[in-house]
Amino acid sequence: MSHEPEPTDDLEDLFENAPCGYLSIAPSGLIAKVNATFSTWTGFTQSDLVGRRFQDFLNVAGRIFYETHFAPLLRMQGFFNEVALDIVGRDGQRLPVLVNAVERRNVAGNLQFIRITVFNATDRRRYERELLDARAAVESANVALRELNVTLEARVAREVDERMKAEAALRQSQKMEAIGQLTGGVAHDFNNLLTIIIGGLDSIGRHIEKLPTSHELERMQRFRDMALHGARRAATLTARLLAFSRRQALDPKPLDANKLIAGLTDLLQRTLGETVALDVVAAAGLWLTLADPGELENALVNLAVNARDAMTDGGKLTIETANASLDDAYVSALTEPVAPGQYVLIAVSDTGCGMDQETLAKVFEPFFTTKEVGKGTGLGLSQVYGFTCQTGGHVHLYSKVGEGTTVRLYLPRAIGGEAIVRERNLTLVPIPHGGGETILLVEDDADLRDFSAGALRELGYQVLAVSSGPPALEVIRSATQIDLLFTDVVLPDGMNGRNLAAEALNHRTNLKVLFTTGYTRNAIVHHGRLEGGVHLIGKPFTFEELATKVRAVLDAPG
Amino acid sequence: MSVIKRNNVTVRGRGERAMIFAHGFGCDQNMWRLVTPAFEDKFKIVLFDHVGAGGSDLKAYSREKYSRLDGYAEDLIEICNELALSDTIFVGHSVSSMIGVLAAAKAPQLFGALVLVGPSPRYINDDDYIGGFSASQIEELLDFLDSNHMGWSTAMAPTIMGNADRPDLGEELSNSFCRTDPEIAKHFARTTFMSDNRADLPRVSTPSLILQCSEDVIAPSSVGEYVHTHLPNSELVMMRATGHCPNLSAPEETIAAIRSFVDRR
Repeated sequence: MSHEPEPTDDLEDLFENAPCGYLSIAPSGLIAKVNATFSTWTGFTQSDLVGRRFQDFLNVAGRIFYETHFAPLLRMQGFFNEVALDIVGRDGQRLPVLVNAVERRNVAGNLQFIRITVFNATDRRRYERELLDARAAVESANVALRELNVTLEARVAREVDERMKAEAALRQSQKMEAIGQLTGGVAHDFNNLLTIIIGGLDSIGRHIEKLPTSHELERMQRFRDMALHGARRAATLTARLLAFSRRQALDPKPLDANKLIAGLTDLLQRTLGETVALDVVAAAGLWLTLADPGELENALVNLAVNARDAMTDGGKLTIETANASLDDAYVSALTEPVAPGQYVLIAVSDTGCGMDQETLAKVFEPFFTTKEVGKGTGLGLSQVYGFTCQTGGHVHLYSKVGEGTTVRLYLPRAIGGEAIVRERNLTLVPIPHGGGETILLVEDDADLRDFSAGALRELGYQVLAVSSGPPALEVIRSATQIDLLFTDVVLPDGMNGRNLAAEALNHRTNLKVLFTTGYTRNAIVHHGRLEGGVHLIGKPFTFEELATKVRAVLDAPG
Repeated sequence: MSVIKRNNVTVRGRGERAMIFAHGFGCDQNMWRLVTPAFEDKFKIVLFDHVGAGGSDLKAYSREKYSRLDGYAEDLIEICNELALSDTIFVGHSVSSMIGVLAAAKAPQLFGALVLVGPSPRYINDDDYIGGFSASQIEELLDFLDSNHMGWSTAMAPTIMGNADRPDLGEELSNSFCRTDPEIAKHFARTTFMSDNRADLPRVSTPSLILQCSEDVIAPSSVGEYVHTHLPNSELVMMRATGHCPNLSAPEETIAAIRSFVDRR
């Protein structure tokens, strides 16, 4: 503890061993007297301390502030209290202290000495440090919170924006799906009716041909032709409805879009009329695309018709092809699911009046038309949309009022395979007849069943007609000779045409099967495409088409 | 903002010629209370507080402007212009002596004589130059100021506690002599102790008096001699007074030295 002699009296003991350091500073600024407590704290002996200045035992910051702040304060007001300083001890250790100082003057006002009292402030400084750290932590937490709030708003705004986009996309796709279901259902029923109507008109025509000519007969012939023409137009409309609803039976084949367009140029130019020029820019090295050639032609004709109607004062229609890659970023921004990858692009641009945003949003909906009543069906772009989507492609429509319209069809690239050659068979061939083969006809619609049975019998076939799968299977399991199963795909009583055919083939491996449907979805069609070896005749079909198809299936090998 | 209010300028005395007294780091114009009465009968006494000290307008404090001593020198020139003073006797203590040197370099016509009490053009040692502090010591000072918010007395406690919690402590600060805003004091310390104005000394030819104390830990005698050597038209007086504030610890000796100088100017 102290190296000084033992205190001799009580007051001396109080001075030396008080719980604080005492120093007496002479007017010269030098330490005149110091107690044992301060000596112990600093590690310097009392004789080491006497004759030095108090400031000498402060750290550098303390020395500077003592000289510049507290020494002047002491001179001016005669004291200072609770000044926080760090004492540096003999071996360099720091002791946080609080320092009081007061000038002692005699009655004449002359400075006798300065009393400095030093309190150990280790604990207090630690509390203050903790308090400061806690305050700093709160402040930085507040800053972080504010930043979080600021970014939170931005993040919420972004999320809401994305969510709203997604919801808008969902609403759009749900709307299109609902319209598709509705139109598909309507088209299905209409196709059944049209098959009967067209079939009936066909039969009337064939019977009229056999009658001796007369004036009345010619008029009947004319009315019959008009009715047939109307029915066929109705059939075209239902086909487009099905196309939009993506429920038509597509038969996609690898094809060269350039060649298909080249073969279509005459028809397109006729469609466009004399005031609209047609310019085809065919890309070299164009990939093959996998699409139904007939529907692609329909799509291009539909686009040409729309373009023509947008260019009432003439203009130019440009059809360009190109290879294209849709990347992740592009497809993720689309409202409908499109796979990223390689596509064949067919861009159809007109120099017409263009469309505003409101029109653009509705343009693919069936029966939406900007044309005058009676001038358009509103199904052209619906077919384009439905066909492209069903084909696994993507339609992009760019238009601005006064700047024309560009429709970009992205059709999937066909990997491998050779392009088919599209041939138009315009030569008349005689209607092929039956040779007494037996056909098992399965059709739930009674009128249609009667029509089909009548037509087939007229063509020279034996017909067994039933209304659903179970009775058909009974016939198949019997010993009856059957050459062809001709069945509707959609059947009642829990067994569809596909199931029936599969069951039938289990019993009769050589049985030929021909499906018919006006509403093709999953039964025989995978993702809207016919499987190889499956034969299908779409409703409505004519007498001639039925004759040709039945004969072809019967004559097919296997 | 008027310059007078900004720098809490006070003018008294009965003379024509002005003596401007500038306080140093750590105090305010009270610093001169024992000295100025001796000159009031013959001079116009101009006292002011640097922005951030005493009764100055704290709102006028700009960290950018006052990050260099030039910022303070501009204020000094503005005070002279505001009061239409010229050929003044400038008396600067500590860092303000260098502020006076900078002002005299910029506007020599304003200053007829300079009295520099404990001047230092650079506090940090540099090769042969002995400023009194090693770079690491000043670094320690600045680190300490950055990390230690204790301040130097309980008067600074409100800074950490928040004034609302301890209004009594804030009151003590404002009632005491040498009022300084603790945060501004820290910045002023940085500006002061990082300054290097050695190159400015030869630019000033104003007659100057250097008062150098004994045992001044802020500006040792070697620094006073350096200033005397490099300030062309200067006199050096070594004082018996110890410490850094002879204007408080030895006012008579300080007054006598200044008087014998100004009587010749």
